[in-house]
Amino acid sequence: MKVLESAPQRYDRGLSVLSRGRITEAYERIAALAAAPGKRILDIGCGTGAVTLACAARGAAAMGIDTDAGMLEVARTKPVPAAGSAEFMQLSAAEIEDRFAAGSLDAVVSCLALSEMSPEEQDYALQAASVCLVPGGALVIADETTPEGRLSRTAYHLRRMLVVAGTYLLTQATTRPVHGLCQRVQAAGFSIVSTQRMWSGSFLIVHAVKAQP
Amino acid sequence: MLPHRAATGLIRIGKPGRDSPVLVTGNFTLTVRRLREALHGYDAWLLVANSKGIDVWCAAGGGHLTHHDIISVLRTSHVADRVDRREVILPQLCATGVERRRITEATGFATLWGPARLEDLPAFLDRGEQAAKSERFMRFPGWERMEMAAMLGVPLLVVMLPILAGVFGWATMTAGGAAVALFVLGLFGLLPWVPIHGRRRFLTFTVFAVGAALFGCGLLFALGAATAAHLTAVSAAAFGGIALASTDVAGFTPWYGSYINTFHNEAHIDLVADRCTAAADCVQVCPRDVLEMTPEITKEQRRVQITKPDWCIQCGACIVQCPTDALRFRYDDGRVVEATTIRRTRMNMVGRRSIEVGD
Repeated sequence: MKVLESAPQRYDRGLSVLSRGRITEAYERIAALAAAPGKRILDIGCGTGAVTLACAARGAAAMGIDTDAGMLEVARTKPVPAAGSAEFMQLSAAEIEDRFAAGSLDAVVSCLALSEMSPEEQDYALQAASVCLVPGGALVIADETTPEGRLSRTAYHLRRMLVVAGTYLLTQATTRPVHGLCQRVQAAGFSIVSTQRMWSGSFLIVHAVKAQP
Repeated sequence: MLPHRAATGLIRIGKPGRDSPVLVTGNFTLTVRRLREALHGYDAWLLVANSKGIDVWCAAGGGHLTHHDIISVLRTSHVADRVDRREVILPQLCATGVERRRITEATGFATLWGPARLEDLPAFLDRGEQAAKSERFMRFPGWERMEMAAMLGVPLLVVMLPILAGVFGWATMTAGGAAVALFVLGLFGLLPWVPIHGRRRFLTFTVFAVGAALFGCGLLFALGAATAAHLTAVSAAAFGGIALASTDVAGFTPWYGSYINTFHNEAHIDLVADRCTAAADCVQVCPRDVLEMTPEITKEQRRVQITKPDWCIQCGACIVQCPTDALRFRYDDGRVVEATTIRRTRMNMVGRRSIEVGD
């Protein structure tokens, strides 16, 4: 029963197996949309820090927050790219307002974290992100979602049953797809720039910007 | 036994008003359901925090339910708009992982420790939100122990019996099954009276395993099927069954202790008397009745006392809650683990807390 104990350490490997190595590509895409030298970036639900560090590699001053202290411990052991900086903090998305002043961030990113939250928490986090961003600041949310086509949706649900079992064994976490992500993002005061779907539509990356006043 | 998630957020119990009590729990489905049943006829707000589908005690010990999760549900549910009272009742057992002062700092809600067991909530509310001493102690009554024995024994037998029957025949299956069932039930039945703490637990489990093996082998002789292979199979099943019932179930009973790093250098609860300011948080959260306040002489002399150190299961609740860091763990060899370390670390599935101990 070493399973739970070693879960944070195995999270990266587990996720890499589940996505058949393609998760790194998703991290890179997120970082490419949000990060640039000198940008102040917040990564909500950073887990073991993959996205935070991908942003730092592009020169950003990245800050990762997560409620799971075990995951953060793993994140802190990873080397920080010389191009930028990365810092990790134990904080929930509902506590962003306590640490980050209004208009103090250039971009907010979040990968596979919103699906861990309740709908109320998702809305709260998006609102908080909107407050902390400078006008025109970028929001990049990447998460599991259900594909749009009926056929691919059926295939998705079948495949998902296996994935859920695998996810649980490997990472001791379950994820549920996020519903209505684009609407939630818009409701929080963002305008959507682009959406990209990956992996037969089951993974969605939403790129939005905070509306100018 | 396995995590099962209920929806998080605010639930109304009865017809709560602006002065009704606000209770907090985790989102283990069974807990939420039992709470609703227990509070039938009461009016209260129930805040379900995200404990990742795990019961409150295990989630708090394992780092899955922290003050961050409670702050999150307090804010995202907007409960502050619905009540005038600025106070929430926390489950006592979340004290191993939830720092209550951080909740008040972030949300302005004061916190209050509820009883250890949810079925005591009605009495707690009737008494004007006061927990009796007996409600702070984590009881583990006979019927619950039998329930746990069944939850462990039935799946075990379902796997074991067909294997024994298929490979060794009916006699072996009967003897092995009877030995495991009887001794697992016996172990849980006798739990209050056998030593299960620290290193002594291994002696207890060895006695039970040997007993189960001997009983099974005796049964094989009685059935006239005592070949070497059958005797070995029954003994192995007996040892396996008791091993499972003893080693992997630290969270299975509220009485097996958790431990730090290893059994070879045992840690014990330790009070630094000069730091104690008699805040009594520790006494309120201990589920094992280890700590007591000294009888009141003068206010200045009033202190906490460790009255039953052997009862301590090392959950760390008292250490986490002490506002002046007066409690800590002390190893046999004299090294200590301070409160700041306990707050930073959590337990794994078998109740082990891994800490690097300096000199």
